[in-house]
Amino acid sequence: MNVDYLSMMVILPILASIFLLILTSRLNPAARAKFDAPVRMAAFIISLAMFAVATLMFLGQIGDVGWNDIAFNTFEFQESYVWIEQLGITWTVGVDGLSFPMVWLTTLLMPITIIATWNEKAGATYFPLMLMLGGALIGVFVALDMFMFYVFWELTLIPMFFMILKWGGKDRKYAAQKFFIYTFTASVIMLLGLLTMYFLMDTQTFNMQEMVVQASGANASGVWLGLEVQKVLFIMLMLGFLVKLPAAPFHTWLPDAHVQAPTGGSMMLAGVMLKMGAYGMFRLPISLFPHALEEFQFIIMMIGLVSLVWGAIVCLGQTNLKKMVAYSSVSHMGVILLGIASMQPLGWAAALFMMFAHGIISPMLFAVCGAFKHHYHSMEIGAMRGMAKHSPWLATSMMFGWMASLGLPLLAGFVAELMLMVAYWYAYGWWIIFPGLVLAITAAYYLWSMQRTIFEGGEATQPPESLHGEPVPDIDNSEKIAMLLLAAFTILFGIMPWIFLDMMDMWTRSAMAFLGLGGA
Amino acid sequence: MSTENDFDMDMIETLGPEFTVFVGLLLIMVVPNLGNGTFRIPGTPIRLPWFLGGTRFKAVASPRLPGLLAVLTMALALFQVVWYLLDATPADGQDIMAGGVFIFKVNMFSRIFEAIFFAALLLAAIASLDRLPIGSQKSDDIDVLFNNRRQADFYILMLTSALGMSVVALAQDMFVLFVGLELASFSTYILVAFHKESRAGSEGGAKYFIVGSVASAVGLYGLSMLYLWAGSLQFHELAAHWEAQGATSLSMMALGFVLVGFAFKISAAPFHFAAPDAYSGANSPVAGVLATASKAMGMLGLMRVLLIITVPEATADGSAIWIGLLGILAAVTMTWGNIAALGSENPKRMLAYSSVAHAGYMLAALTAIGAWNWGLVDNAGVAMDVVVAALLFHMFVLVFFKLGAFLVLGVLEMEGGASRLSSLAGLGKREPLLAVAMFLFMISLAGVPPMAGFLSKLLVIMGIVEVATGTGSLSSIGDAHWVWWLALLMVINSAISMFYYLRIGVVMYFHEPEEGRKGPLASGASIRIAIALCAIGTVAFGLVGGELIDLCRDAAESLR
Repeated sequence: MNVDYLSMMVILPILASIFLLILTSRLNPAARAKFDAPVRMAAFIISLAMFAVATLMFLGQIGDVGWNDIAFNTFEFQESYVWIEQLGITWTVGVDGLSFPMVWLTTLLMPITIIATWNEKAGATYFPLMLMLGGALIGVFVALDMFMFYVFWELTLIPMFFMILKWGGKDRKYAAQKFFIYTFTASVIMLLGLLTMYFLMDTQTFNMQEMVVQASGANASGVWLGLEVQKVLFIMLMLGFLVKLPAAPFHTWLPDAHVQAPTGGSMMLAGVMLKMGAYGMFRLPISLFPHALEEFQFIIMMIGLVSLVWGAIVCLGQTNLKKMVAYSSVSHMGVILLGIASMQPLGWAAALFMMFAHGIISPMLFAVCGAFKHHYHSMEIGAMRGMAKHSPWLATSMMFGWMASLGLPLLAGFVAELMLMVAYWYAYGWWIIFPGLVLAITAAYYLWSMQRTIFEGGEATQPPESLHGEPVPDIDNSEKIAMLLLAAFTILFGIMPWIFLDMMDMWTRSAMAFLGLGGA
Repeated sequence: MSTENDFDMDMIETLGPEFTVFVGLLLIMVVPNLGNGTFRIPGTPIRLPWFLGGTRFKAVASPRLPGLLAVLTMALALFQVVWYLLDATPADGQDIMAGGVFIFKVNMFSRIFEAIFFAALLLAAIASLDRLPIGSQKSDDIDVLFNNRRQADFYILMLTSALGMSVVALAQDMFVLFVGLELASFSTYILVAFHKESRAGSEGGAKYFIVGSVASAVGLYGLSMLYLWAGSLQFHELAAHWEAQGATSLSMMALGFVLVGFAFKISAAPFHFAAPDAYSGANSPVAGVLATASKAMGMLGLMRVLLIITVPEATADGSAIWIGLLGILAAVTMTWGNIAALGSENPKRMLAYSSVAHAGYMLAALTAIGAWNWGLVDNAGVAMDVVVAALLFHMFVLVFFKLGAFLVLGVLEMEGGASRLSSLAGLGKREPLLAVAMFLFMISLAGVPPMAGFLSKLLVIMGIVEVATGTGSLSSIGDAHWVWWLALLMVINSAISMFYYLRIGVVMYFHEPEEGRKGPLASGASIRIAIALCAIGTVAFGLVGGELIDLCRDAAESLR
């Protein structure tokens, strides 16, 4: 039997979420609270099932795919249905070495996020939103139709908007609107770029695969659509993705959104949603406009460098733990841009692996922040001292997460950073001083924050004032499980990065060769 | 193409929906007055029963009767129109002549506009069943007010405006079109002021009437000049004359004046000043009709004048002579509307300004049609069809989410006013489904997928970009026709509009309700049904809009 697993993974969670939301919508709050546990269980089971399907796909139990041989612009599990015939819009799904790690990551993070926020209030609404977010994110990654891609791109905003708005912190209204408006503004400009491109094509199609074939055919002999046009379209498309990534100077929505978002929202936001930006860059502007990419190579490098340095320096000045982690995300996303701008297969693979590794490590950081907030009712770095004594679990998790994030060898982040450094050195030589410097700054802010929260104080430590004399708790079991899982995967991909790195490597090398770029 | 000259049974068949409305109108006037009244033959004691007046029969005394009649009438008329649309082909068309003059033409293009009008009026009529414009009175008094004779007046005016709009849709003569326009306009002037107990109602109505009359007068003056220029007001003769003579100073001036008249109807800047007052003074279903059906009527007039009469080979580069003017009007309208909406605290005014902004988007699409010959000479008609179809689709789905948004405010009005943003506060807790519907309408207005508003905006932008990119080989974006920049302005405006649409969502879900507005809202089954229909339409046409797009394309084709 031929089952379209990818479409199911998109549609089922969204339908389930709508069903669950409608189911409880007419109830009064007290009656709805009774549904929290069953709804959570339903969401958890669905997300586990999705994770199982994605894993079985990877292991070859579903379909028999040689994941490490997927060349650029070929897709597995490809299915296509007519959607709006009149406009030539189809529902086309498929995965390749670029998108499959992201799909798998999304399905991994969904159950983990649900575990980490097991006791989130108003769960009957929260967990369905989580499902909707997961379905929409997978939709973005598997969409091979431009229209479908855009629909899911925007659809991810809605559950996240409500998550920030309903479960967020004090300034959540501001943060949620800023988040929505930044992304929406960038994406409508991207949409105009996409449509302009559509009408300039020889054979108008929304299908990304056909677009790439068409573009590369023209790019091989000349410049598809002309260099001037290609540059403008490249900028319009990149703008949408750079804001999502986010890169300086469009990054200011991210700290606000993260600080205000609930733990689960932050985990998904940092883990997967930011990667949509990087994914989109590879999928559309880079695949379609290699000539424009070469033109803008240096500018992209500069944007990446500024994000990297700026993010790190701002981190140094933060007293809010979550804000610090958020800026460190900006910094890490800068690494992805550096990888792209290196124009080396190695650099691109580093960018892809950074997307993946950061997708596992940053949820851990935000889970730590969430636990911190949850148990100490404060996010100030100075609020808790001597955590190692009061809350050994949290202290250990925090230490692990921080170490992973600053790139300790044998953990996933290190692999990406090492690859990047090598590629960057090949491409830009002594410019490597800047990212190198940033590594030192990163170590500084992480170590400093750890020193102030985990160790300082020692025997004489008083419980933080924000607890008002209550006993100091350690983290819940559910939080412990989530941290353990994330830590396990961080180590797994640190020791055995080739699990996904091989297919990423195949993708980048074939892409570079296909596009006629770089060292290939 | 058949031509009919005299009023006979065939014509009743051709003009079926219009006769339905007409009969419904008569019924609403007569049926509620049926009673045991008698007529005394003068000079004798003999009384003959003639069934009007006296004590009304029980069956017709129900205060809900006029409303039900109106709903049935509109539903039947809409059914007939849709029936026609599903059956017809673009080549179909029946002319109705009187004395050698073309009066009406029934084809897909006019019928799809009637579908828009009737759908909007039907939804508004359904929504009004539960309540009449009762000012700020509490819902307990509804029964008292139902006995008010104004009940019948309200629905009579709705049906006369439906009739007027149909005439505009069918008209083949500027004068006939103008008569229809005025019939519809006068009905809406009164409907706006129907809220006469409140100051806002009378003020809005008066302003709307005064500004509207001035605009009509200017338009009429333009018509007289057109007549002076061409010696006829028939569309086909005007078009022929334009083709023969091109633009002269007289015809240009006439055109300008006529445009003003229609620009007021679609509330394009700078003729939009009365709109926010009118919308906020009128009760919500009526405001919704103004923002959808009445606006579509204005667009229809503009399309007739700009696309039928002034054929666009008038300038050297093959674009229409009015394209520059219309482009500026579009840019100003969408930007002004959005910026004004940002600062308005009254949700109805906000929706009014958002409808100004939507008028700007539609004008941008019209501007693109004016450039249709640009680079696409062999393919002119098709490019025009694409944009016209996008416009039709946009106006059609706008009925659902624009009117729906007004109806949600209408539910709040039943409770005691919806003139402050804070009246929406806490709706998410009080009425989750209503709040979800409102949120869907808002993001649809903003153009977020997968709502119908996204698809319609996508179609409009696609139409503009298709025209702007011409034959498809540009050496730079600067070589595209300048209407491309209107598309850019449009997407930027969409982003700006996000601010105020989202704010509604934030207020609904995350502000505490106002004092005294805690529990669930007053019931109102019919308005909720109307809102549900709107919400279903908003989502359904966004997900599977293909059939409607086909229909709109056929209708656009029949315009040529």
